[in-house]
Amino acid sequence: MDFDFSEDQEQLRDAARKWVEKGYTFDRHQSIVKAGGFSRDVYNELAELGLTALFVPESDGGMGMGPIEAMVVMEELGRGMVLEPLTQALIAGAVIGGYGSADAKAWLPRIASGEALVVLAYQERAARYALKTTHTTATETNGAYQISGSKSLVPVGDQADAFLVPAQLQGKTALFLVERQAAGVTTRGYGTQNGGRAAEVTFHNSPATLVTLDGQTALEHAVDIGIAASCAEAVGLMDPAVTITADYLNTRKQFGVTLNNFQALRHRIADMKMQLELARSMSYYASLKLNAPAAERSAALSRAKYQLGQSMRFVGQQAVQLHGGIGVTDEYIISHYFKALTQLEMSFGDSLHHLGQVSDAMQETAGVFA
Amino acid sequence: MDLAFTPEEQAFRIEIRDWVKANLPQDIAHKVHNALELTREDMQRWAKILGKKGWLGHAWPKQFGGPGWTAVERHLFEEECALAGAPRVVPFGPVMVAPVIMAFGNREQQERFLPGIASGDVWWSQGYSEPGSGSDLASVKTKAERQGDHYIVNGQKTWTTLGQYGEWIFCLVRTSNEGKPQTGISFLLIDMKSPGVSVRPIRLLDGSVEVNEVWFDNVKVPAENLIGEENKGWTYAKYLLGHERTNIADVNRAKRELERLKRIAKAEGVYEDSRFRDEIAKLEVEVVALEMMVLRVLSAEAKGKSSLDIAGLLKIRGSEIQQRYSELMMLAAGPFSLPLIHEAMQAGWQGDAVGALHCAPLASTYFNMRKTSIYGGSNEVQRNIVSQTVLG
Repeated sequence: MDFDFSEDQEQLRDAARKWVEKGYTFDRHQSIVKAGGFSRDVYNELAELGLTALFVPESDGGMGMGPIEAMVVMEELGRGMVLEPLTQALIAGAVIGGYGSADAKAWLPRIASGEALVVLAYQERAARYALKTTHTTATETNGAYQISGSKSLVPVGDQADAFLVPAQLQGKTALFLVERQAAGVTTRGYGTQNGGRAAEVTFHNSPATLVTLDGQTALEHAVDIGIAASCAEAVGLMDPAVTITADYLNTRKQFGVTLNNFQALRHRIADMKMQLELARSMSYYASLKLNAPAAERSAALSRAKYQLGQSMRFVGQQAVQLHGGIGVTDEYIISHYFKALTQLEMSFGDSLHHLGQVSDAMQETAGVFA
Repeated sequence: MDLAFTPEEQAFRIEIRDWVKANLPQDIAHKVHNALELTREDMQRWAKILGKKGWLGHAWPKQFGGPGWTAVERHLFEEECALAGAPRVVPFGPVMVAPVIMAFGNREQQERFLPGIASGDVWWSQGYSEPGSGSDLASVKTKAERQGDHYIVNGQKTWTTLGQYGEWIFCLVRTSNEGKPQTGISFLLIDMKSPGVSVRPIRLLDGSVEVNEVWFDNVKVPAENLIGEENKGWTYAKYLLGHERTNIADVNRAKRELERLKRIAKAEGVYEDSRFRDEIAKLEVEVVALEMMVLRVLSAEAKGKSSLDIAGLLKIRGSEIQQRYSELMMLAAGPFSLPLIHEAMQAGWQGDAVGALHCAPLASTYFNMRKTSIYGGSNEVQRNIVSQTVLG
């Protein structure tokens, strides 16, 4: 049992942090939001740092790194409120690398290099957070696949190069890769809560590459990777949100004294620190369990996402509250942390959903190791 | 970063598990698993079994007869004991006063007091709080005046846990009124059989007698019972509070009680009610998160880093969880938690239970657990301390 980071992990964190501090200022973030919520230039910069290659196997041109490496990177990207969806590169790299057919694996070198941005398109209108509900259908003719259906909230869906799409094939969920430029694909992009970008994506007899026939297993793994990445990203968001709020209490004066003189506010910041550290602990837990067998992994990730969801909501709301009026302006940074946290709570399953998962999976004993 | 214990640590766990299984008296484990009343004899029987093995002072360094375990091994030992249904070790001797005697006592004091603590033979109590000094401990007034080779002690201590059984008591006493309140405090060991010491039990809201008032009326205490230097007691007390910080979270007991909560909820038919089960699920996540936090502190301590600013959170969260599981157990029993029949909380009671027998102690435990957010520095005081680490 060891909670220290290796030297390599610290170096990776430093590299990501330096890039965020220099290359992804709040001004740049804001200009990207105004320009639609996604910058391919930024995504390319992440690729140049090697980050898009983290979960691509080494044999396919990637780095074959583990969950802890991804976690330290996602914490730093969260800290900078980076809108470009590195989580999607982690999912695509691991899922295609772990489950993909040879045809699908041919995409891996380009995913690693950042040349191809492949995103998971799984949300459907009727499914909410259920992963077993897929109305998109696939058909096979002489070994060639076509899919039809609609997916919602696809990250940067109108600018990604290809989609990972779960679809029903002969009564089972299979996973396909569909290029955005393929016949029958239409997209409608829009901004989301955090200033980032998503799209409705519709497929009409669109040609597709089969990734795996066991799409359910792959999809559940994909979402668990998304959860772990979101947990780390959320810790990265909450950490500066608490620090900035503390700085504000230490400097803002009312009634002739700085706000840090008021015990009600001191206790609130203590509660924020509590939620942050519970969240950090469970983010570690999520990443440490990400390579466990599927049932153990999913149970652990649901526990983590429930805790993170609670923490995200509390820290986000209280960061705004303790700032008073300035907290609800667009100009000041804290409202942006709040909105980013709000979006993450509802990504890859919200708190109530994961509480249900924990509740259904409860055993007689419970603990970190059970 | 790695969650797994080493093969050596896992082997250690098995060794402890086997030993506890073979040595923990079944009647005591039964009481613990069912929250039935433990007698002085129960507590001391287990303490002496541990003492004989050299494990009562399991956190003691080797030079004082401790097993020399690492922080992780200590955690595994405590976990195995808790899950097997061992009573909590009464901490006042082996966990609280002994480290102070080791760190600040002289050789004579060490030779005189430590063996009786290590064996479990001598029952120690804590004399800290006073009627006017609760969270504000530095304001203690119990006076110790030096007269030749003795101190004359006058005053009153309160909330002395299990003091009705106490043979010795370590006290914070005022030896000076000069300067800041903290600078005039001394750390004194007092034989409770001394003339002038009287103990009055305080009945608590759950009907139990767990804490006491202790009066000192011109009690003559040999000066050789002073630990360290006069007026330095506050430093020693703070050292004591900083000791064994992960203990206070009591996460191992929380894991055991979570299992019991599930058993009770199943027996009472509310486990299948998703509104109720979800409350247990929330608690389960809280327990896992607390355990992760404890493991983080342990890992830092094992590496000799003490700067982790999260240890202060453990007391707050641990106590909230203790209160929550006791609350949920009571709610699981619902109306059958209303009867408060004290005989039914004793092992071997032959009377007719109202509802199931497991319902009998639930309300009592719930009432009793309100103390956890008050003692050891109330959770509000803890939040003040945490806010200091955040705000600077």
